[in-house]
Amino acid sequence: MKMRKYIYSFSAALVLAAGFSSCVKDKYLNPVSQTALSDATAFDTKPRIDGQVMGIYSGLKSGQLLGGRYFIYNDVRPENFLSNDGNRVTARAAWEFSETSGDNEVNNLWAACYTTINRVNVFLEGMEAKGNAVAGADAGRFNGEARFSRALAYYSLLQFYCRPYWDGNGARPGVPLRLTAIKGGGYNNLKRSTVGEVYQQILADLNYAEQNLLLNNGTAILNTTRAHRNSAIALKVRVYMSMGNYPAAITEANKIVPAAAPFVAATGVPNALSASLASVYSTYTTNESMFSMPFTTVDPPGTQNQLGFYYMPLGVGGANGIFYLNPSGVIADAGWTATDARRSFVITNGGKQWLAKYTNPGPFLDWTPVIRYPEVLLSLAEALVRTNNTVDARAVALLNAVRNRADAATTYTTASFANATALTNAILQERNIEFLGEGIRSIDILRLGLDFPAKSVPGFSVSAVPASSSAYYWPTPSEESRYNALID
Amino acid sequence: MGVVFFAIQANAQRTITGKVTDEKGNPIANASVLVKGSTVGTSTSATGIYTISVPASAKALIFSSVDMTSQEVLIGSKTTIDVSLKAEDKVMQEVVVVGYGTQKKSDVTGNIATVKGSAIADKPVPSFDAALAGRAAGVQITTANGVLNNPPVFRIRGTNSINLSSYPLIVIDGVVTYTGDNSQTLAASNVLSNINPSDIESMEILKDAAATAIYGSRAANGVVLITTKKGKRGKARVNYDGWVGFTQPTRIWSMLNAEQYMMIKNEGLSNVGAAPRYLPSYTNDGKLINTNWADVIFRQGVSHSHNLNVAGANEYTSYFFSIGYTNQQGMIRKNDFDRKTIRFNVDHKVNNWMSVGVNSSYANELNEAAINSGSLPGAAFASAGVGRLALSLPPNVGVYNNDGSYNISGNAIGKMNNVEVPTFWNPQPMLDNNYSTTENNRIVGNAYIQIKPTKDITFRTSYGVDYLNTDNKNFYTKLQGDGFSLGGTAFSTLSKDKRWTLTSTLQYDKTFGSHSVNLLLGTEQQRSTFEGFGLTRQTLSDDFFTVIQGGFNTPLTAGLGLGENYLASKFGRINYDFKKKYFISGSVRNDGYSAFAAGKKFGNFYSYSGGWDLSRENFWSKGLSKVLNSFKLRASYGKVGNISGIGNFSSFSFFSSGLYNGGASLAFSQAGNTDLTWETSKKSDIGFTFALFNNLISGEFAFYKNNIDGLLLSVPNAPSTGMPNAVLQNVGSMYNKGVEITLNSTPVKGKRFNWNTSLNISNNTNKVTALAPGVPFITTATSLETPSITRVGYPVGMIYVVETRGVDAATGRRIFVRADGAEILYNHQAPVASRWTYRSNGQVAPAINPGLDQKVWRNTAPKYFGGFDNNFRFDNFEVSALLTYQFDFYVYNGTRATVLDQRFWNSTTEVLTRWQKPGDVTKIPRLVYADNVSNGSAQPISENAQKGDFVKLRSLTLAYNLPASLTSKAGISSMRFYLSGQNLAMITKYQGPDPEVSSNGNSNTSQGVDRNTVGNALTVTVGLSVGF
Repeated sequence: MKMRKYIYSFSAALVLAAGFSSCVKDKYLNPVSQTALSDATAFDTKPRIDGQVMGIYSGLKSGQLLGGRYFIYNDVRPENFLSNDGNRVTARAAWEFSETSGDNEVNNLWAACYTTINRVNVFLEGMEAKGNAVAGADAGRFNGEARFSRALAYYSLLQFYCRPYWDGNGARPGVPLRLTAIKGGGYNNLKRSTVGEVYQQILADLNYAEQNLLLNNGTAILNTTRAHRNSAIALKVRVYMSMGNYPAAITEANKIVPAAAPFVAATGVPNALSASLASVYSTYTTNESMFSMPFTTVDPPGTQNQLGFYYMPLGVGGANGIFYLNPSGVIADAGWTATDARRSFVITNGGKQWLAKYTNPGPFLDWTPVIRYPEVLLSLAEALVRTNNTVDARAVALLNAVRNRADAATTYTTASFANATALTNAILQERNIEFLGEGIRSIDILRLGLDFPAKSVPGFSVSAVPASSSAYYWPTPSEESRYNALID
Repeated sequence: MGVVFFAIQANAQRTITGKVTDEKGNPIANASVLVKGSTVGTSTSATGIYTISVPASAKALIFSSVDMTSQEVLIGSKTTIDVSLKAEDKVMQEVVVVGYGTQKKSDVTGNIATVKGSAIADKPVPSFDAALAGRAAGVQITTANGVLNNPPVFRIRGTNSINLSSYPLIVIDGVVTYTGDNSQTLAASNVLSNINPSDIESMEILKDAAATAIYGSRAANGVVLITTKKGKRGKARVNYDGWVGFTQPTRIWSMLNAEQYMMIKNEGLSNVGAAPRYLPSYTNDGKLINTNWADVIFRQGVSHSHNLNVAGANEYTSYFFSIGYTNQQGMIRKNDFDRKTIRFNVDHKVNNWMSVGVNSSYANELNEAAINSGSLPGAAFASAGVGRLALSLPPNVGVYNNDGSYNISGNAIGKMNNVEVPTFWNPQPMLDNNYSTTENNRIVGNAYIQIKPTKDITFRTSYGVDYLNTDNKNFYTKLQGDGFSLGGTAFSTLSKDKRWTLTSTLQYDKTFGSHSVNLLLGTEQQRSTFEGFGLTRQTLSDDFFTVIQGGFNTPLTAGLGLGENYLASKFGRINYDFKKKYFISGSVRNDGYSAFAAGKKFGNFYSYSGGWDLSRENFWSKGLSKVLNSFKLRASYGKVGNISGIGNFSSFSFFSSGLYNGGASLAFSQAGNTDLTWETSKKSDIGFTFALFNNLISGEFAFYKNNIDGLLLSVPNAPSTGMPNAVLQNVGSMYNKGVEITLNSTPVKGKRFNWNTSLNISNNTNKVTALAPGVPFITTATSLETPSITRVGYPVGMIYVVETRGVDAATGRRIFVRADGAEILYNHQAPVASRWTYRSNGQVAPAINPGLDQKVWRNTAPKYFGGFDNNFRFDNFEVSALLTYQFDFYVYNGTRATVLDQRFWNSTTEVLTRWQKPGDVTKIPRLVYADNVSNGSAQPISENAQKGDFVKLRSLTLAYNLPASLTSKAGISSMRFYLSGQNLAMITKYQGPDPEVSSNGNSNTSQGVDRNTVGNALTVTVGLSVGF
């Protein structure tokens, strides 16, 4: 009997020991993620800081923004493209000016811009606190790249969600100006600043960038995918043109455009027109590209965001042929001769004309050209004419440089233009031809207060949208209205 | 001489014979007769007679049979022993499984509902949870759609969370198991289907704090305890169950045929002054092409299922062994389910102080699909979603061209003779060439050792493992669909979920005099890890390849994931009763969970409850007990928690790696919460159980209130903040309160005719009382639209729409109501700037802004729900019918916007009632081609919020049991044929296929939304059960 009791207690104790003493494992109770970095360590090393700058560019590169859709919306609102596909979610609503506040286009573009902006704000705050010391000599450059990106994001917002600068000289409501890092909840409410205030912030950021970016990032690829000093200057030219501040545009452009041809930037990256136009859209990294968004097979623009997907004909390389070229748009210009190299970007398929600048088949990895040197040349030309109000010789030379590069047979002289207006129109037309499908046409229409022209497809027509119409710009995104109490 | 020989024989062995009958004198076949203390035994014949040879040392015989109280009879010197066995008094003896133990049903002070395994065993559903509808008060099951093996919406006592899951805790044989859909492909994979429903003995549903608090931080949504079968005393029993079933869609939308379609669409065009763009096409024989796309996408599926089990027990060992195979075809073509299971449960009494046991099971399950159902969460607007394609594809184009090739043009269906270009995909090439499968290999097992040093003390330690290996594969053809722009693509990922659970308990049971005490102390640890990785490859090198290992251009990673969590607990419970009249119980549990923020990981949960059996009191007079023979009051209160669905690392803020042109990028990716902790639920429950007229009618009433606090809410950010995620914070509060009534009765209990009935009615009211500070509401999207809102002062998941008031008879335009009450009309034909006009004076009005003009509309959770189950038996025939019902709720019928779209999409026949001239009173506005505002696509409208109330004949079974006289001749103890139907009929005003629907699965905040979802299927099965 006693033996039995012994056995009982022994085994009971064994079970007890096994069960109760397998005490709580502290390391199981406090796991650490092995797949992401804690925010406390994100500024600890220079590669991590550099990675964050790349992360900011990735924000701009979103298919909802400069990776695709921003270009599409900018180009299908004006007259050059016709809708081949009634599906609202592939930019049809933008094309026919029926965007409503609840639409995904309206919400997603806004969100993509602000995601980038917050990444910049978080970066700048972290650099101030810890990163500047870690980055050492590169601190200025990194901060410069961040602020360049923030400027580009705010500029993109201004092209869609507000009245143009000329309306009241920037006094109209702009967008909320987020300049502090947000890493938690409770910061939803912020009212719109004026258009002028946002432009001032953009210029402040670009001025800092110009002072702090590297003159040359080192390789052709890095000079295309990361901002350098000349990129900041070129963006400033675009900004001043949108503000209608032609003298300032001239001052900026002159920093990277010499007095006479050949037009090659004298300092920083030797930006110039590439002799082969085709290589601009195939190798992507010529000196002509001052800032582009790159794509790789592991990092594509994302479904229904890619330029090739929208513009190439249905079935070619998997494209969906969503927009074809309007036969009464810029391609009808007789002055754009048949031998012009840029005509090779217009192909015929199924009885329609299509833009063939972005010809990579699915997953459509063509880099998107955000800023190209010819834009600086043509902006400078236009600014000179508008400021001097004459048929400016340098303006004609600049126009020729862009025109001759593609069409050696057509050369303008000052005699080709009766007056300043004729020259201005020729410059605007050259921009229309040169930047077809590159997200510039809408910007030109908005800054000059022109109508978005009427257009039609069989069975459906879109009337012209004058500057006074509420459809001239996009409504406040519904998600913003829902949660930001200080916005309309 | 013969006598002496005989006498010697008698000393060594004796022969005893006799007859075993029941109380009524009927013979009991196959009753077990055992010599006590040995393995010598036999069974009775069909006439109840037995003959047994017993050794001289034998002292007693034990007689037993299923559902009968065993009897022990001393042999003495008898050679004939007749025995009459009594049926077990189920009501008194019934034992109920509670957390970490069992309890006599009459002693329970918590609120527990029991559903027997037999109720769900032969139902043609892949998993047991789908079969629980209508079977217990307080339990609401909504089968969301007709996709096979899709987890149903499962709620106990209402929606108990907003951001976390409301799915109850599921415990199988004492071990908490995984729930949810673990598929990464187009097929659905409810992990609970890995348990073969035929292996389930009983399910206990624990509802109040007293019953659930022993599970502490995981108990807020209720707990379901599943117990698998064990062998029963008696001769080994072998059972075979098989059925063959037919499944098809039911109540599908009535759509226009080709002629009507062309007429309606061309009218929309002519109303805007455009020429007809919809023209007829003909087959080679000159017949008009009129395609019924529902026939292309849906089918009548054929399924079959087989289960075989062997079970038995003797004094020391009981075992249950089963194998099962089922192959089911869903109503969507190529949506199939194939499962093989095997189970082995053994319990063995080693000696009089130690027992051991093992429950183990293995399942191999294949969930297959070829095309996106468009019905699972996130898929409502999928381009390939067949729920929408079946409705929207133009009927005047064919599946094939006249030359037999697929009718496709680029990545869309070909337009044939139409002028308008349709942009939807042709499903046929995808049905023929694509596959999307999820294969699960699941091992669930636990082993225990139990030691009883004295008869009052029990130590038990058990160790359980749960391994789920999932293989997800798909292939998309380049001909059409998702694979088109990529030139064909394949995907393959592997994921591994592993869990171990170690539980140790010490139990003390003692009865002294009129007092009974039961004390439980325990510890538990559970650790789960998840690991996943995989590959997707794009752009086929050759059309021949259809597997991931073939030739492709571009490899990319897919399915990467890594996670872990850990729960450490201590718990205790005490039950005390005095004279079986007064009962008091209390439980407490301390849980620590790894996912919470540092310093917030541990919490205490508790309950206390009491019961009073009035019918045992002296004052309960004889007269009263003739009417109300049993009446027991019960009340409980406690605090439990919810952690279900919380991420493993949500308390942290992270930066994640990415790529920028091949270089490493780093970006702020998660804003965490350093105060993150569990949600708490304080549950009160008060009720009574009763029986009338000597158990003729019995039932239960319960009133409950759950106050949920510290609700984890993803507090939404305005997009201009640029935040990567909404931060999960413990800020909200909500309550559920309601009443549950269950009534059971056997009104007719005759020898030949029997009728028993059971009715349960539940009423639940849910209300959100607080959200985050500064956040008065949260809206939730269903992919591309936002028809749901959760707002303080209203139930969770209200419908959120722009109010519309029908169609203006004068102009045929839809009447919208702006937030300020102004009625404005919409005319898509006008120029953009003047499409909206005031109804009163025709002046141009500002457009409807969904962010400002959508309003809280109607509730989506039913206020009343339950089931009504009736079983009739007449001789050997049985008829059972289960009705389920849900009342007082609305469904957002987004599909109605799809079927009234004014582009090339086909319309429902209701469109024929459209407005055509001033004065027409109708629900359909004037057809204006391309108008997607009036039908409720651009923003959700109240016109599409429809009442969902329904009564459904959920299952009807006719069965015939072969008489014992016939079966016993073949050595079979029972044989049953049955014919059964599921979802046969329904009464409802809802216009879609089924108001029992959810395009968002188990989401709490976007429940009750029907957007392009395939309705539930109708199934008829023919089956056979044989017992040996």
